[in-house]
Amino acid sequence: MEKKYKSSYYGHVVKIALVLIIGGVLAVMARDKFLPETMGQYGHYRGSDLKDQRQVAVRSHTNESCYQCHRPIRLIHKAGVHKTVSCEFCHGPFADHVKDGKYVAKLPVKRDMEIKTLCLRCHNKIIRARPEESIKVVAMPQHLEEKKVNIDHNCNQCHMVHDPILWIKAAREMMGLKMKGETK
Amino acid sequence: MIDIKKEIQKDRRAFIKNVLSGTIAGSLLMVIPAGAALDERLPEQLPGMRGDDSPFTEKKFAFVVDVTACIGCGSCCVADKNEYNVPDGNYRTWVERYIIDDHDEVFVDSPNGGLDGYSKPRTDIPNPVRDTFFVPKLCNMCEKPSCVQVCPVGATYKTEDGFILVDKDRCVGCGYCIQACPYSVRFLNPVNRTAEKCTWCYHRVREGLLPACVNVCPVHARKFGDLNDKTSEVYKILREPHVISVLKPGMGNQPALHYLGLRREVV
Amino acid sequence: MSVAAHGDAAVAAANFIFPNDLHVHWSLMIVLYPYITGLVAGAFIVSSLYHVFHIKALKPVARFSLLFALAFLICATWPLLNHLGRPERALSMMLTPNPTSAMAGFGYIYSAYFIVLLLEIIFIFRPTVVALRKKATGFMKILYGVLSIGSDNVSPKALKLDHKIIAFLAAIGIPMACVLHGYVGFIFGGIKANPLWATPLMPLIFLLSACVSGIAGIIVTYILIMKFSGKEIDVECVQTLIKFLWGFFILDFVFEMLELFSHFYMATHHWHTLEALYSGPLFNTFWVAQVGIFSVIPFFLLMFMSLIRFKDSILLFFAPIVSFMILMQVLLMRWNVVVGGQLMSKSERGATTFHPMWFEKEGIFVAIVIMVAPVVILWIIGKILPFWMDDEGVEAA
Repeated sequence: MEKKYKSSYYGHVVKIALVLIIGGVLAVMARDKFLPETMGQYGHYRGSDLKDQRQVAVRSHTNESCYQCHRPIRLIHKAGVHKTVSCEFCHGPFADHVKDGKYVAKLPVKRDMEIKTLCLRCHNKIIRARPEESIKVVAMPQHLEEKKVNIDHNCNQCHMVHDPILWIKAAREMMGLKMKGETK
Repeated sequence: MIDIKKEIQKDRRAFIKNVLSGTIAGSLLMVIPAGAALDERLPEQLPGMRGDDSPFTEKKFAFVVDVTACIGCGSCCVADKNEYNVPDGNYRTWVERYIIDDHDEVFVDSPNGGLDGYSKPRTDIPNPVRDTFFVPKLCNMCEKPSCVQVCPVGATYKTEDGFILVDKDRCVGCGYCIQACPYSVRFLNPVNRTAEKCTWCYHRVREGLLPACVNVCPVHARKFGDLNDKTSEVYKILREPHVISVLKPGMGNQPALHYLGLRREVV
Repeated sequence: MSVAAHGDAAVAAANFIFPNDLHVHWSLMIVLYPYITGLVAGAFIVSSLYHVFHIKALKPVARFSLLFALAFLICATWPLLNHLGRPERALSMMLTPNPTSAMAGFGYIYSAYFIVLLLEIIFIFRPTVVALRKKATGFMKILYGVLSIGSDNVSPKALKLDHKIIAFLAAIGIPMACVLHGYVGFIFGGIKANPLWATPLMPLIFLLSACVSGIAGIIVTYILIMKFSGKEIDVECVQTLIKFLWGFFILDFVFEMLELFSHFYMATHHWHTLEALYSGPLFNTFWVAQVGIFSVIPFFLLMFMSLIRFKDSILLFFAPIVSFMILMQVLLMRWNVVVGGQLMSKSERGATTFHPMWFEKEGIFVAIVIMVAPVVILWIIGKILPFWMDDEGVEAA
């Protein structure tokens, strides 16, 4: 019995093949449109990202930046034993203070026990990993007891934070004593 | 200058109070004209970088960490967090503390990545301590980075001058690179929802500044420089006979971050 | 007194994880994705066992398996899109795939496989759809028109052509199903930084457990649907499925245990972290649940059911139970590999913890929705295309 069909026996296969091919071509065309321009410029990444990375804001500066304006501190800090301590470590990043060359906000200043905590981050003897050559460490409250100082004193009552040995040196000069290791 | 010394001798407390409260400093503060370039305030720490607009630098940068110098102050962590506004609980760099007792037990910790320093001793060590040291960690900037290998879209990549960077605008946040990094230096930034990691301060280095962590280290435990410069400290360290190590050398990533004085307990 | 071994230095006296290792980044969604594609691959294998290998006993479920596979395949991308930090950029995987990344294969492998599965369904169901189109009205008539590609030709010549194409699609479908799931195994297997994942056996283990889950899924759904619609279950079909399930499961279980045993035996550098993991955080989910309850018991049940000819009622009672247990085993295996692997810190000195929450972005509630969705979709498909051969009024090719 011969049946009459409207469509050919292969028509549906052809249609499917056409859809797949046209779909594929459209996809390739769309890809070129959606691809970022500099993709693949230097490698399998967006080449213009190199510029974007350079444009990330520099938030911390160096001590030199702070010194440009803060002259008295510069004299004390740059000549003292704390010259390698970053201003921004205690006071916060430069970018929070100066933006586009203009002062925008005051930077925080450590007060009271905040100062002691900060000092002890580096100078605490309990953590026995500080090489003697690189940093002087003390144990609290033994250090105060040793120096015959009231044990609820803060560090900065004897040690000026920007150059901790400055007042100590001045005091010893006044008393005629010598610093450890000094021969003069 | 002499006036200031007199000031100090006169009343050191009052003087210090004034400086600390900013009055003297404030009155001396100059308003720098707007539009001042980076140059005026910031002298170059790495010569020949500023003004170089080529996509890749000719310099061969090296990063060396001296474990024998690190005091665990965490200045590097603070500077890094400030520089990039790193969200809490995520770390682009961190410092680990290793404590070894006299029974050769090794105790390692890194409270908040060392961000608050190490003011407190560990209280759970049963025997007397015989040794302690600190190890800073950051991106190892591998020669054969496993993170770049697995990124499905090419959002993280290695530049021709050896920096491994993450394109924030293309990262899809799949987290594959975080699984692949043997050193756990990568994380998913919860704000951007993209991957992030230490970049050896690429944006600072290209402007001739040292990486933020290198700049602030008070004991010079972190060192950065150009190996092509034979007078540089990193050249002297890496090219002269010192004992130099890298982390997890067996992984095959060939890290470019070198350690001086690395101890065998460190993974 | 023993010699001071170097390795002592790396052992943990107390838990230490790297600061960035606290969070488990790949959680429920990444557990579900291989689970779903596993069901797809496994169901497709069942269908191919009939269409390519001519296992006559599986004829009753041959078509159903394809529809089952389709329902789950439709949902396969959902857990991934939910997981991505930036799902709006997901198309980048297809625009700029990184040739060295296994994950980059996803877009193309998934799309290609989807096309093959869809085409196979279209060709196999075409005579049925042509007949349904004649009887349908309104929207359904248009839908059937589309599904039959506007053709009404079911002459022997047309059917012969269709048959050739079906054979071809089913044949390439097998390696494609293997790739669809095998590459997922390689996503894990290629990560040298993770000692639990890094093994060449990983793609094989994933693939075998995929087949196992698919067959089990077909058994469960076949029996349940037949029971609920009051139709007769083909016992020979179930018996054959059980035998294949047992066979694949033997291979799967052997490779899973072999992998662990090799690590244990060789005890290389990373063994101490793996050992701590398997005896610690993973003890319950791996040894007690995955192996003890959901591997050993089904292993023996399947053995008895395959070797001994039980009464039909007993077979049909235990078949869905053991299949459900296997489905649990595969889910647990995915959990233990994906989540378990991330519990160990790369510090090699400790582990973190992970507890899925109910209502977070990748939480339990979302996971349940994603697993229920394919069942719903399957039900919808069932309204359009008949699951079973005797639902048609027309002889199929």
